[in-house]
Amino acid sequence: MRRLRLPGLALALPAWVWLAVFFIAPVAVVFWYSFGYKPGLFGTHATDRLSFDRYLEVLTPTFFDTFVATMNIALTGTALCFLIGAPMAYWMAVKAPPSWRGLLLALVLVPFWTNFLVRTIGWQVILSPEGWLSQAAQTLGLPAFDILYTRGAVLLGVVYNYLPLMILPLYVAFDRVGEPLREASRDLGAGRFRTLWRVTLPLARPGIVVGVLLVYIPLMGDYITATVLGGAKGNMVGQLVAAQFQTAQNWALGSAMAITLIVIIVLSAAAVGAALWLVSWPLRRSYRVRLDSGVTQ
Amino acid sequence: MSTSSTTDAPPVIHRLRKPVIDRLLTVWGVLVLVFLFAPIIVIVIYSFNTGRLLSSFEAFGLDSFAALFSKHVLSDAVMVSLRTGFIAALLATLLGTLAGIALARRPGRWAAWFMGLLILVSVTPEIVDAISLLPWLVFLGQDLGLSMFNDGTVRLVIGHSLFSVAVVSYIVRARLVGLPANLEEASADLYASPLRTFRRVTLPLAMPAVLAGLLLSFTFSLDNTIVSSFVQVSGSTPWPVYVLSALRGGLRPEIAAVSTVMLLITLAALAVVALVLRRAGDSSAQIARTMAGG
Repeated sequence: MRRLRLPGLALALPAWVWLAVFFIAPVAVVFWYSFGYKPGLFGTHATDRLSFDRYLEVLTPTFFDTFVATMNIALTGTALCFLIGAPMAYWMAVKAPPSWRGLLLALVLVPFWTNFLVRTIGWQVILSPEGWLSQAAQTLGLPAFDILYTRGAVLLGVVYNYLPLMILPLYVAFDRVGEPLREASRDLGAGRFRTLWRVTLPLARPGIVVGVLLVYIPLMGDYITATVLGGAKGNMVGQLVAAQFQTAQNWALGSAMAITLIVIIVLSAAAVGAALWLVSWPLRRSYRVRLDSGVTQ
Repeated sequence: MSTSSTTDAPPVIHRLRKPVIDRLLTVWGVLVLVFLFAPIIVIVIYSFNTGRLLSSFEAFGLDSFAALFSKHVLSDAVMVSLRTGFIAALLATLLGTLAGIALARRPGRWAAWFMGLLILVSVTPEIVDAISLLPWLVFLGQDLGLSMFNDGTVRLVIGHSLFSVAVVSYIVRARLVGLPANLEEASADLYASPLRTFRRVTLPLAMPAVLAGLLLSFTFSLDNTIVSSFVQVSGSTPWPVYVLSALRGGLRPEIAAVSTVMLLITLAALAVVALVLRRAGDSSAQIARTMAGG
């Protein structure tokens, strides 16, 4: 007897259609526009003549310099997020008393859920030369703050804004390793560092990759942080793309920039992934425990 | 292996050399938390600033909160955000729940493709969504003459729904994958129609994830800044876009006040999410995974 079953595709169909119409189609259109041109002062785009000219325009020094600066900030920011976030996640998942863990997670989630722009404005207030921190420094005889609207301020802002995205997957990864495995490692005579190096880190590797990509990808496209904290000096690629659509009204060039940005993000994310894979080579050699092979279950 | 013997012995041994690094880690953890909260606390404190400019604190008072009611641009922006958030959350939850159930219970060859699409949607930088939606909505609304796409709320709801659909799908799928399908099979064996099984068994099983997805989508929508600033039309400006535009003309304490109010709304929604998941028996790591968007 055949039961009447709703095929899965039918249930997922509304979401399919929705994403096809409002995600795939728009990106496809942008791809198409990127081969067009801007007709005159008041038009935004025209596609009756198709060419690669906009891509050549993208590769001018202005865009290239901004792109290198963006990449620089994205890589430095991701590395800093990892260096700050990894010990934090390790502490939360392994060292902090288990009864604190829920509270600590909630505390990390609150900034993650506070509006991005608002958090960045908070830093603008803290760093501003008229702010209380600057005034406190001045009463102590130190010079007034001169950090706002520098590259350092942008870096601080992006590290701050994306840190929770690094901590959360790392926490999940460290938590997944679990106390019994670490205990087993110590019972078998491994020291603390040996346990960290040969058990905890290899098992947390997927979480590390996820954390790095979760920080790096949105960071490459971010421009709000740079606008608020970097002023004119903090130009990021996202800002250039946005300007083509919002002020210059040159959708053809903006589209070509956006497509270039997507390609760069995909390629560099793949490169970052490959680099992580290479760096973790010594770790993998000591990979002895697999969670799915029934060690913990 | 008995757990009691292993928990008894090691702490005694490790106490001997534990403190230094562990204490450093604790200090680090506390410092990171201070870092994470510094700007939020500053915004909350400065929302009580009675001065004219946000960044120079003059005196403590509630003037800026009063301005939320007297300044209509500001209260309108909040209302636009709440309305959009409500509609976008309902829509994303409806689409995402169906997709999540399909992915968990009826995966076919399409499922891998669909998961790929969802991952693509959730990792695409917001700026790309924003700049591709704007020409598309203009094309639909003006070139094809579908006037509904010229409506501010419709545009915002579309922009906010994309990421949320992906997140709700993940959460619902993750919850159902963790629960065996035998209850549904039992229901079918007892001659319940597929629709009845869906309504009386599958949906209640997925309910904690559905509620969590609904509230998460709502807060995603409240927070959305970049896509909103592209697709919004004048007259339906959501509050983050209002803040963004205020940035150019000098920030006033009202900005901090509206941020504080929205923060409270977001936190209330998140507390409910955590409570729902906790009552459904999730561990804190599972809750973290869910609340971080899958």
